[in-house]
Amino acid sequence: MPAACRDVRLDFVNPSAEILVVDDHDGFRAFARIMLEAAGFTVAEAATGAEATEAARTVRPRLVLLDIQLPDFDGFELARRLAAQPDSPVIVLTSTREASDYGGRIAASPVAGFLPKDQLSGAALLEFLARSPA
Amino acid sequence: MSRRLRAILIAGAVAMVAYEIVVSYVPGPPPELIFVITNAAVGLSFLVAGIAAWQRWPASRLGLLFTIVGYAWLLPQVGQLRYALPFTISNITANIYAASLAHLALAWPSGRLRSRFERGVVVAVYTWNTGQSIVSLLFWNPRTNGCAGCPANLLLVSGSNSIEHIFDVISVPVGLTISAIVLTLIVRHWRSARGWSRRVMVPLVWISFAVVALSVVQTVTGNLNLHVSNLVLYGIAPLILLAGPALFVASTLRARMARGAVGSAIVDLEPGAPPERLRDALARALGDSTMQLAFRLPDGSGYLDTSGRAVDPARPGQGRVVMPLGESGEAVLVHDQGLEHEPQLVRLTASAAGMALEHARLQAEVQAQLEQVQASRTRIVEAGDAERRRLERDLHDGAQQRLVTLTLALGMARSRAAGADPELESLIDSATKEAREALVELRELARGIHPAVLTETGLAGAIQALVERSPVATTITALPAGRFPAQIEATAYFVVSEALANVAKHAAAGSAQVTIRQLTGQLMVQVSDDGAGGAKPEGSGLRGLADRVASAGGVLRIDSPPGSGTRLEADIPCT
Repeated sequence: MPAACRDVRLDFVNPSAEILVVDDHDGFRAFARIMLEAAGFTVAEAATGAEATEAARTVRPRLVLLDIQLPDFDGFELARRLAAQPDSPVIVLTSTREASDYGGRIAASPVAGFLPKDQLSGAALLEFLARSPA
Repeated sequence: MSRRLRAILIAGAVAMVAYEIVVSYVPGPPPELIFVITNAAVGLSFLVAGIAAWQRWPASRLGLLFTIVGYAWLLPQVGQLRYALPFTISNITANIYAASLAHLALAWPSGRLRSRFERGVVVAVYTWNTGQSIVSLLFWNPRTNGCAGCPANLLLVSGSNSIEHIFDVISVPVGLTISAIVLTLIVRHWRSARGWSRRVMVPLVWISFAVVALSVVQTVTGNLNLHVSNLVLYGIAPLILLAGPALFVASTLRARMARGAVGSAIVDLEPGAPPERLRDALARALGDSTMQLAFRLPDGSGYLDTSGRAVDPARPGQGRVVMPLGESGEAVLVHDQGLEHEPQLVRLTASAAGMALEHARLQAEVQAQLEQVQASRTRIVEAGDAERRRLERDLHDGAQQRLVTLTLALGMARSRAAGADPELESLIDSATKEAREALVELRELARGIHPAVLTETGLAGAIQALVERSPVATTITALPAGRFPAQIEATAYFVVSEALANVAKHAAAGSAQVTIRQLTGQLMVQVSDDGAGGAKPEGSGLRGLADRVASAGGVLRIDSPPGSGTRLEADIPCT
């Protein structure tokens, strides 16, 4: 996504991150970072779809925790693009809503699964990583 | 016409006819019966028609003219008295009826002569028909010229048969010329007449030709001493004059039938018929194909008729009359002038046309209001849906997000407090539980306000989710995959949602079925169950749902016989 590179907040990016948290809600990102770092992950953040695209290219995380509703991108569309990249990361969709609110769209997406935000934990992400091929 | 005048006229008519019959038999040998019948019938018919016409058209002179013809026809019968004076009077007035007949024909159907020239012609006819008789009498001695038993001619100056004969011969071309002029004028009246007037002129033309022909034959044979049967010429042929009163009766019947036809035409018009249909119906009923129905332009600059032609009410054209419909002057009817002689018909036509237009205007107004109400209702529902979507989104972005963050924070606090303080751990566990329950309740609330799945996935995904959450075993038999306009999707979704909620709450059903099919021009939504039935359509939930479906222009039907399950069906227009 070259056109969006200029607005990417690369200062947020940790080059050695394993988890990329993509969410426009600052509070959620902050708590997710604390929780996941406490669980031993290296965490990078992106607040928009454009930032996430750039970060995924530069940081190359092992897992992307992707909020379905972003200000500039539909989470499903972003997941499709990320999954289309070579050595694509494990993508886990998340939302404050339940999976059933998205009908069959989650199952139809090239993602490892869906994790409600309130059930976020290091253990849950490890489980997704463990289920996904290296 | 006053009652006294009417009584006098009727008494006069009876007296004249009675006299005609009596004098035919009293003084001398009775004439052939046909003469008595013809004389009485012709005279009586004109007098009766005159009285009736006077009654029907008080402002018209037709009644007077009919009456004059009747008396003019009967007056010469005074000659039957066989005295010199009545005999002379009889001969002087013998042809006045013919002049008054010409007067009546030229004044038909309005009762008024159309021009100064025509008035001159009528004066000339009266003058000639009287003067010719008088001049002829100056030289006719009946006792030496064919009527030995006749009384004396009081006007006799010279009994010269040759002078009388020469005058009679000269009279023939003059009489023919006058007759030709009268006939020509009648034909011109017929040719210039349109619509209603033309229809009432047609029989007059034929009658005039016949009467003039009879008059000419009588004059020529009499003046030239030709021998033709008196029985035919004066006994039978004059019966043709009965056509005059018959014409009056026919025109009366035609006007009456036209009034009925106008009424029928208005009744037969379908509700809200366009103005051109009203014009056509009235034109047919009145036999005036040139009739125009014109409406004032919105800027008041003029009038246009139903064919889009400009109409100037101040100058409607020769022989045309403008009739305003209603008090506003918004519409006018331009019709043939001849109709004015039927004021009742004109009034009926005006009020019927006015009512029909008012009806059409009111119907259009109601239709427009209905459309406005329908559009307004649709906008209200759409605005409500948009507001519900915004509320759900606000809950999702705001309160739900904060509760999620709170839950995560409590989770972290719990892990950091682990082993340090059991009471704190318990407190944090309780807070976490409360926060999670609040989150669940908030999700349900948000879903009830507006199902996010409908926005996210469309009708198919949303119905699938509804069915999956339904506590009653529910199967989907048909479900279109495509997307529909938001209002259609929302309406169909709420129909299924409300129906499944009712199944779970009230139906005591073992299973339910959801069917949604896209048919031509509509989306058919059907939810049925095998429960207890007996659902009441007037219940607030179903009534609200029916309103919701109606706001999308659809119809909701409920079939719920007790003990036989419930079937709820909505047809939602969908292009």
